[in-house]
Amino acid sequence: MPNIVELAQVSKTYPLGNLEVRALDGVDLAIEKGEFTTIAGPSGSGKTTLLNLVGCIDIASEGTVRIDGQSTAQMSESALTNLRLDKLGFIFQSFNLISVLNLHQNVEFPLLLQGGLTKGERDQRVRNIVEKVGLADYLHHRPNELSGGQRQRVAIARALVTEPAIVLADEPTANLDSGTGKAIIDLMKDLNRVEQTTFIFSTHDPSVMAQATRIVRLVDGRIADDGLGETRPEAHA
Amino acid sequence: MISRLRILVLVAFRNLFAHWVRTIFVGSIIVFGATLLVVGSAFMASIDKGMSAGVIGSLGGHLQVYSSQGKDEFSLFGGSMMGAPDIGRIDDFSKLRKVAEGVDGVKAILPMGIDMATATSPGELERALGELRTAVRDEDAVAIPALRTRIRDILAQLEDELTKNAQIVADKERIEEGLGVVREARTEAFWSRFDTSPLSALEFLDTRVAPFTEEGRMMYFRYVGTDLEAYPKYFDRFEVVEGEVVPPGHRGFMFNHRFREERVKHFVARNFDKLRQAVVDKGESIAKDPALSSRVRKMSKQYRRITYQLTAAEAETLKAELTKFLGEEGSLDQLLESFLTITDDNLLDRFDFFYATVAPKIDLYDFDVGDTITLRGFTRSGFLKSVNVKIYGVFQFKGLESSDVAGGHNVVDLLTFRELYGLMTAEKKKELAGIREEVGLEDVSAADAEAELFGEDTAIVEAVDATDGFDEFAGVDLQSERDRMASIENAVFDKTQQDRGLALNSAIILEDPEAIAPMQAKLTKAIDEAGLELRVVDWRTAAGIVGQFIGGLWALLLVATIITFLVALIVIITSLVIATMERTTEIGTMRAIGAQRSTVLLMFVLEAMLLGILAGLVGMAIGSGIIFYLGSVGVPAPKPEMTFLFGGPRLYPQLSGVGMVFSFFVVFVVSLLSTIVPAILVTRIQPIMAMRAKE
Repeated sequence: MPNIVELAQVSKTYPLGNLEVRALDGVDLAIEKGEFTTIAGPSGSGKTTLLNLVGCIDIASEGTVRIDGQSTAQMSESALTNLRLDKLGFIFQSFNLISVLNLHQNVEFPLLLQGGLTKGERDQRVRNIVEKVGLADYLHHRPNELSGGQRQRVAIARALVTEPAIVLADEPTANLDSGTGKAIIDLMKDLNRVEQTTFIFSTHDPSVMAQATRIVRLVDGRIADDGLGETRPEAHA
Repeated sequence: MISRLRILVLVAFRNLFAHWVRTIFVGSIIVFGATLLVVGSAFMASIDKGMSAGVIGSLGGHLQVYSSQGKDEFSLFGGSMMGAPDIGRIDDFSKLRKVAEGVDGVKAILPMGIDMATATSPGELERALGELRTAVRDEDAVAIPALRTRIRDILAQLEDELTKNAQIVADKERIEEGLGVVREARTEAFWSRFDTSPLSALEFLDTRVAPFTEEGRMMYFRYVGTDLEAYPKYFDRFEVVEGEVVPPGHRGFMFNHRFREERVKHFVARNFDKLRQAVVDKGESIAKDPALSSRVRKMSKQYRRITYQLTAAEAETLKAELTKFLGEEGSLDQLLESFLTITDDNLLDRFDFFYATVAPKIDLYDFDVGDTITLRGFTRSGFLKSVNVKIYGVFQFKGLESSDVAGGHNVVDLLTFRELYGLMTAEKKKELAGIREEVGLEDVSAADAEAELFGEDTAIVEAVDATDGFDEFAGVDLQSERDRMASIENAVFDKTQQDRGLALNSAIILEDPEAIAPMQAKLTKAIDEAGLELRVVDWRTAAGIVGQFIGGLWALLLVATIITFLVALIVIITSLVIATMERTTEIGTMRAIGAQRSTVLLMFVLEAMLLGILAGLVGMAIGSGIIFYLGSVGVPAPKPEMTFLFGGPRLYPQLSGVGMVFSFFVVFVVSLLSTIVPAILVTRIQPIMAMRAKE
């Protein structure tokens, strides 16, 4: 399998007053297409920074980041935006839905940004993905009319509707109760298996971590451990 | 692209709804601003239109031409300064006419001269004598005895008055002299002399008795000398209310109706009019208003102004009528004084009685149509110049009847103007040459003036004892002088005579009233090329301070608009900045999932524009509604002076297309401007902001 994500000697430093905080420190990481990877570690270990770099919403201070073979270092902001739109899907800890749009419109939004599809094609895509996340009956509900779990499902649908190569999720279950959280991870895993979409998500919840096929542990901005999860396909086999 | 725009519009709309308090707040300001603009511009345009119609149609024409050599600003309706401004002059109007008529688009050109003149209204005796003189000339057997009786009545009253005066006046000698001549004129012997030699008897009354009567009132007024044949044709506000327009080629004067009502009307009648206007039209009260009650007190003492004009028979009739009307007994003087003691309650009854019963017996106006008026003007060299002209009629400026600005202008033919202005006409030059001949006047050069005047033997021609009953009329043929005046009055002149000569300014009427600016340029060019030292201004400039007033109103509206929209701008910017900060996560998320900067920017601009345009449209609709309503019922001029600005007693504002477009443009620009600051903030929001949200 080719590497969909490649990080080589990636460091990220932030200024914090007069100090410089090194959030990531010489990280090397390669993720293959179709992996279901979790980035684990305590708060402040650099999980979110790593996801931001992979998600092209932040730029590495040192080292190179390659997404689907393309180095992001020299890309313009507009090109990065297009890269995010076409190759990446995002699931946020706080769901980040557009509050004034209903479920259908929220999911359709990235397709509208992409352009190129007819309304019929868009509607078909939206319906398919919404069915997959189990919200077919809520198409016209606004986010505030949905529960936390339902909202996160909408976010998942929105992330997947463009059929991206990679879906990034930053603590997707942090704001959900454990039952709902598990259901969300199950859904993601299901989609990973069926659609072969690469998932990279961060968490510090051990039960969520346990669902991953690969666990990358970060401590103080460095990879402390990169191992197989309990549920890796081989383990089941 | 369309679908993307649609979702952005949707987001913008939904955001406006979601933050409805803010939307209503900001929207209201824009609604107010747009309403103000639409209503304001409609009012201004309508006032502008009304005033332009008033100015153009009364005196201004579309363009005015006057000398570029004058020292003062030209102002059709008079400047703020008293006295005649020096606006230079157009020495030969025919040259200007030739140039102007050669310019395409000029419909008509009229010479004008605006100046001040005075006229003195005749006293009662003078008036009766004038009528008697006419009756004698016409050998009117019916009128002569009646007028004789009236004059004798007046003389009786005059004697009575002088006797009373003799007790209080210091100059007793003069009063005694007056009493002497009045008593002589009352004798039967005098009137037998009248029967045999009426003109000499009239002369005595005119020159010896009349000076002891109360003097007539002097009026000071503006007048416009112009081509009275063309004037009514091209000035559509001009409307004859009595008599006729001065016939072509004739000398003549026309009163402005308002001026005549205000200044020429009988004192008592005028007071009745004013009281009725104050009480009925304005709802004021004689009892409560000190100015009105003072007017009534003054009026009640003016019964003489009525009795002077009555014959004995009329006086008897009126006495009987008043006794019946008032239910009181007394002399006519007492009855009239009582009748003229007006209160709020009896005003209307007495007003009606006055006009129905008293007015037909007296002259309501000092001057009537058909009378001859002696106009006096100060010539440029400072001499007083008098010209007699016939009053042909009374006119008014339609719609501007109650405006003092428009109502103060009387009109006269151009030749009379020139004479009053002090310019020699051919006939005057001849007359002057005759006088020089007669008195042996010689031109004396400055160099040998002394020798000429004092060098020779200077024998006193004739010693006259000043106390020796000097008669200034001795040796003067008064009849031939009168005939000369009459010949001027009846003189006919032709157009060439009118054209070849002086005018102070000139009104130009255009074929296309919309083409004022280009025609001004064309005419200026033509005039310059012809080498005439004249300048061309539009009616607004020519209207002077009146024209500037509307400029002031425009400025006021502009300032109000600017303030409103400045406030709107600040409020919108603030609220959008707050909105931007509140929506950092949402915008960050959009950016993260692939929205370009331009897309989120567009979304914000759309939101501000939608609000601006919708609120602007609502404001314009409200404004239009207000104007439609006011346009149908009309806005009454709050003061008579305002009728001039309103172009009539009521202003019917109409929506102005330019105003609507301008309003929309302003709202659009303000909305767009208001997005600048928030837009800068929006584009600074990084996609990473999406990650910072915590619920």
